Amino acid sequence: MVDVTVPDADYEPYTNRQLALVPVAVLVLALVVIGGWYVMNGTPVELGFDFTGGSEVRFTTGASLEQVRATFEGIPIESIQPASGDTFILTTQATDTAAIEELARGAGYEVEQVQSRSATFGASAQQEALIGLVVAFLGMSVLVGLMFRTFIPSIAVVLSAFSDIVIPLAVMNLLGMELTLGVVAALLMLIGYSVDSDILLNNHILRRRGGFYESAYRARRTGVTMTLTSISAMVVMGAVSAVLAIPLLPAIGLILAVGLTADLMNTYLLNMSLLRYYKYEGVAK
Amino acid sequence: MSPDLNLRENWRISLLVLLLVTSGVLLFVPSGEAEGPTNLQYGLELDGGTRLRAELVGMTAEGVGGVTADNVGDVEQGVAAELGLDQIDVTVRRTTQSTATVEVFDGNVTESEFVAALQAVGLDAAGEDLRSGVTGETRDVATDVLERRINQGGLTGGTVSTVTSGGGDVFVVAEVPGANRSEVLQLIGEPGRIQIVAAYPTEVGNETVTRRTPLLTQGDFAGIRPAQQASQGNPPRVPVTLTEPAAANFTNAMQNFGFTGPGVNACDQEAAYNGSEDVGYCLLTVVDGDVTYAADMSAGLAGDLRPGPDGEAPFLQTRGFSMNTRTFSEAQNLKLNLESGALPTELDIQSQLFLAPSLAQAFKPLALLTGLAAWLTVTGVIFYRYREPRVAIPMLGTAIAEVFILLGFAAGVGLALDLSHIAGFIAVIGTGVDDLVIIADEVLQRGEIKTGRVFQNRFRKAFWVIGAAAATTIIAMSPLAVLSLGDLQGFAIVTIVGVLIGVLITRPAYGNILRNLLLEE
Repeated sequence: MVDVTVPDADYEPYTNRQLALVPVAVLVLALVVIGGWYVMNGTPVELGFDFTGGSEVRFTTGASLEQVRATFEGIPIESIQPASGDTFILTTQATDTAAIEELARGAGYEVEQVQSRSATFGASAQQEALIGLVVAFLGMSVLVGLMFRTFIPSIAVVLSAFSDIVIPLAVMNLLGMELTLGVVAALLMLIGYSVDSDILLNNHILRRRGGFYESAYRARRTGVTMTLTSISAMVVMGAVSAVLAIPLLPAIGLILAVGLTADLMNTYLLNMSLLRYYKYEGVAK
Repeated sequence: MSPDLNLRENWRISLLVLLLVTSGVLLFVPSGEAEGPTNLQYGLELDGGTRLRAELVGMTAEGVGGVTADNVGDVEQGVAAELGLDQIDVTVRRTTQSTATVEVFDGNVTESEFVAALQAVGLDAAGEDLRSGVTGETRDVATDVLERRINQGGLTGGTVSTVTSGGGDVFVVAEVPGANRSEVLQLIGEPGRIQIVAAYPTEVGNETVTRRTPLLTQGDFAGIRPAQQASQGNPPRVPVTLTEPAAANFTNAMQNFGFTGPGVNACDQEAAYNGSEDVGYCLLTVVDGDVTYAADMSAGLAGDLRPGPDGEAPFLQTRGFSMNTRTFSEAQNLKLNLESGALPTELDIQSQLFLAPSLAQAFKPLALLTGLAAWLTVTGVIFYRYREPRVAIPMLGTAIAEVFILLGFAAGVGLALDLSHIAGFIAVIGTGVDDLVIIADEVLQRGEIKTGRVFQNRFRKAFWVIGAAAATTIIAMSPLAVLSLGDLQGFAIVTIVGVLIGVLITRPAYGNILRNLLLEE
């Protein structure tokens, strides 16, 4: 009664090494991108305003970009970027925005949003985000270890989750995206999503009766549905919120879409090959 | 099937219905507090307003030895003098019989200067624990003062709280809906300290100089009475009562400085208002460093301050004192400031957010629209995958039910929704749909389900995976739910609560619904 739309992939002709080659290569490439960024810029990804401090003033006006630039002539500012419609976003390293607001109001612009953070507050946020990610990842690893109590299946889940986080970070560098609090939230969500499909696969292969390929097929049928549903929801959410100019949500949508795509690869190539190795070679010995 | 059995077998569905009804009540039955069609409350990011996060400027030395009940005032005065500050900038709180916590409220004092000043007044400051920042007591005072100022100053609904960052820094957070940045700063930007300062001539070597000594501040008043109009030759004033120690200090100072002798009726008010150095003997009312009133020592008060026949000044019994002002409205302001209190120290503002209400409120329908679009996408994918309304419709209904219950929870506990909570909703729906797909696939495998036992067995297997995945999600979110500057806390809390509701109630209920629909064949 259930129509199966997930195509059956044939794993048998490929060795474990061949299966693992693609995800490992992509992971290494992502680490190289992040490492290269770290060497050049001192941070693994470009840090946004949330983490560096400074100010951001958002206002709307019918004036052109040149007119807007002229308005703020002589005030130390970092950049003025047009956002959607009549909206402009002005950034500066200073945290006192009173002068900028006064100039903007004087010129008849409507100030919609003012945000500023001191550098120390940004550093606190940086520390908090880092602690949050590390503790979350370690907590997840310990829990997965307790659940499966065997080394290879556990490490397969943890490695796959690690890669799911690293690949979107590398993609951010390639796209020139900045790390914001929204992105940190998305990375934490990825830990949860990533582990979902991995636990499903491990559970089917390790705890169910039936042959490896049959179990793998069942797990994949369910898992791919899950992940594809999430990817399509995230793509739509990211696109719609970007068009409507809602903050926070476009970045979350993009990061999750990239991370979940990476998860498809990691779960069904990397994790699958490790499990097959464990089932046929690791256990037999 | 008897109705009894039916209810027992379907308790999960009953629980889901019960929660949906409860959420509906929490969301839609008017409570009189929230505006709009629902009882949901919105935070700054969805309603507009201003949020400031600030640190209180200061340095704290803990476990300083050598402080007794008798020398607290002297220590404060001495340390302040060593550091070139007012006594108001130093606070000593005794923690044991002989040790105390000393705070200095000035951003320019270095650690070594602070230690040197403590040692210079004879304190045991060798083993003390020095740190930047202020004590919890000081923060509580500041929080109360800020809250009173915001809400007495005409801005409604303002809240002030503290958050601790992962690194242990404590921030005071003030949120004022609907107000802009400068309105809020005007109310809370200045400490609003009121001092009574004695200005008097004194001999230094062969020269006569005017010395200014702060005598009283906000904490020294035991009672504050309503402001009074000018009458019988008296200026507008706020009658106050001094605390016993303050009255004793005040009496001593007045006697020693000469206010009870040559200083009676000897204040040159013009000179005091012009900022001249030589003013004679004046009692100055100083607000945040500005002289707002210069008063004479009256003959009557001077008489009370002199020792009586029993050797004790009558003032120590009455302790009544008038704070004079030039206009009645000044007197009213003075009273407000005396009552709301002074900020113990300056605010060092670390982050500011202003969002225009028009922009923020536009996000609400747009975020709803985005959520709807995402949900429709999920609907499309699920229908394409299962092509079976009996599986797909309850699945999508369950996903909606989770959000509805979560919104009911938010309304029930008065959670102010921000964009980060919306990110949390997305996370919950995402894991929810994942879990529902797992349940559906597990239950539907290998064709029809013949008996309830087969169903139960399959459902348990599915639940192991769901429970394990939920546990990892909760573990992943818990650090941010606890240690947080507040930016991602809402996201983490919504996700954890949502996953719990999902795993314990809605997702099992979906299994139950599927069973009913499929066993009926």
